[in-house]
Amino acid sequence: MTAMATHTAEQVRSGATSARAVVQASLDRIAHSDPGINAFSSVLAERALKRADAVDASPRRSRMKLAGVPFAVKNLFDVAGLPTLAGSKIERDHAPAARDALLVRRLEAEGAVLVGALHMDEYAYGFTTENTHYGPTRNPHDTSRVAGGSSGGSSAAVAAGQVPLTLGSDTNGSIRVPSSLCGVFGLKPTFGRLPRTGSYPFVASLDHLGPFARSVADLALAYDAMQGHDARDPACAERDPAPTAALLQRGAGGLRIGVLGGWFREMALPAATAAVDQVAEALGTSRLVEWADVEAARAAAFLITCAEGSELHLDDLRSRAADFDPMTRDRFLANALIPAAWATRAQRVRAQFARRVAKSFETVDVLLAPSTPCVAPTIGTASLQIAGRTLPARASLGLLTQPISCIGLPVVSVPLWGLDDDAPHLPIGVQLIAAPWREDLCLRVAAALEAQGVCSAPIAP
Amino acid sequence: MDPTDAYVDAAAAALGLHIAGEYRSAVIGYFRLAASMAECVMAVPLTEADESASVFVPVAPLSDDEEQPR
Repeated sequence: MTAMATHTAEQVRSGATSARAVVQASLDRIAHSDPGINAFSSVLAERALKRADAVDASPRRSRMKLAGVPFAVKNLFDVAGLPTLAGSKIERDHAPAARDALLVRRLEAEGAVLVGALHMDEYAYGFTTENTHYGPTRNPHDTSRVAGGSSGGSSAAVAAGQVPLTLGSDTNGSIRVPSSLCGVFGLKPTFGRLPRTGSYPFVASLDHLGPFARSVADLALAYDAMQGHDARDPACAERDPAPTAALLQRGAGGLRIGVLGGWFREMALPAATAAVDQVAEALGTSRLVEWADVEAARAAAFLITCAEGSELHLDDLRSRAADFDPMTRDRFLANALIPAAWATRAQRVRAQFARRVAKSFETVDVLLAPSTPCVAPTIGTASLQIAGRTLPARASLGLLTQPISCIGLPVVSVPLWGLDDDAPHLPIGVQLIAAPWREDLCLRVAAALEAQGVCSAPIAP
Repeated sequence: MDPTDAYVDAAAAALGLHIAGEYRSAVIGYFRLAASMAECVMAVPLTEADESASVFVPVAPLSDDEEQPR
């Protein structure tokens, strides 16, 4: 049984258990369960045990906030000695990373122990982690289904109880979608909050990094340990850390909460709207808030992704297109060709949308929307029926996350269960969305829902 | 030839991108998808006061007493 990160850290700090024992247990669970899940691209047993021994021997151990906590990271994070694959075959040819990513170093500075790297959609361009090079990552709650993406390995490893904490990235939904489909808590902070130093990019204008965990306290603990400006990420905001862990107990009382309507209701299947309604009822709100131009904001994020994502890979698209995953290749090729006016206009529409949404946050603190339109589809699903239309399944999983990340709002995805009558064993997530820099409000509401028993992240049986 | 197909061929050539025959149909399909997104975005009324969300921040040199990042 994998303990929560907060509990593990207390036990290791006090000496009740050793970091080595905790990490060995995690490695054993990974060895046993991963053949059926395919979350891990690399397991770093020797490094992890050496690091665990260092934590056990450290004179600082009793002050380490994440003492002995095993964690893993999406394989777009640099890990010293490994090529940073970013889900690709092409990057295998590149030199190994010289140094760990900054967020890995910050977690390890607090005593956490990196045990491995995790599978993802190639170059982060997907919502399902059906990676042709490495095989699909399977949903631990139903291995015939996708884990979501592009941080599918990150969500699956937590849902399977392999580690209590992972890191992923979110450009258009890649933390929130897999959190929803795998039934774990995920935090996409405000754009520019956590530095991306030492991670492989996808869309510099939209990339966020963030944690996955099985409790809100664990999410806050990890998030707090990773905060702080770093000038090497040009998008990282010069803001002082704003710790959240001690604020969770304030709960949701006194906060103004609303439900996002329009697009966020229309493009959701009954299980998704039912999840939001359950959260709204638990929080005592029936207030509906509608934003204008949500579909345009989604489209703007799509076009910015096209332009920047493809330009990044242009040299490889010219010289070795056949080495891309067929799931990404033709999209990258097409997207490289879009006229400049489309991407430029998209950035202007994005700014306008951000200003309008900021206005709405003058009278509300947290807004609710589904994290995904539906529960996890089976692996290989090509299309979904949403709002009376047949839509491509993979792209559609991000319909409800993309407008939010377009303007960099902080979001916690919280997992609910039993809302799909055809698949009652499956989870679905609800986005708790706040104004920029107000991760504390998202986390407080998440903690309140967890305390009420509305949300939980049990380990898959 | 359909104008979109002609654009895809011409833009690919301008970028030095060779699109293999077996990829072309899918690439054109995805380009059309991007075009449908563009239709939505281009329809949003903007004025010249609506500037880009992407803002350049000039880079100043480090002063002697500024720390190198760890």
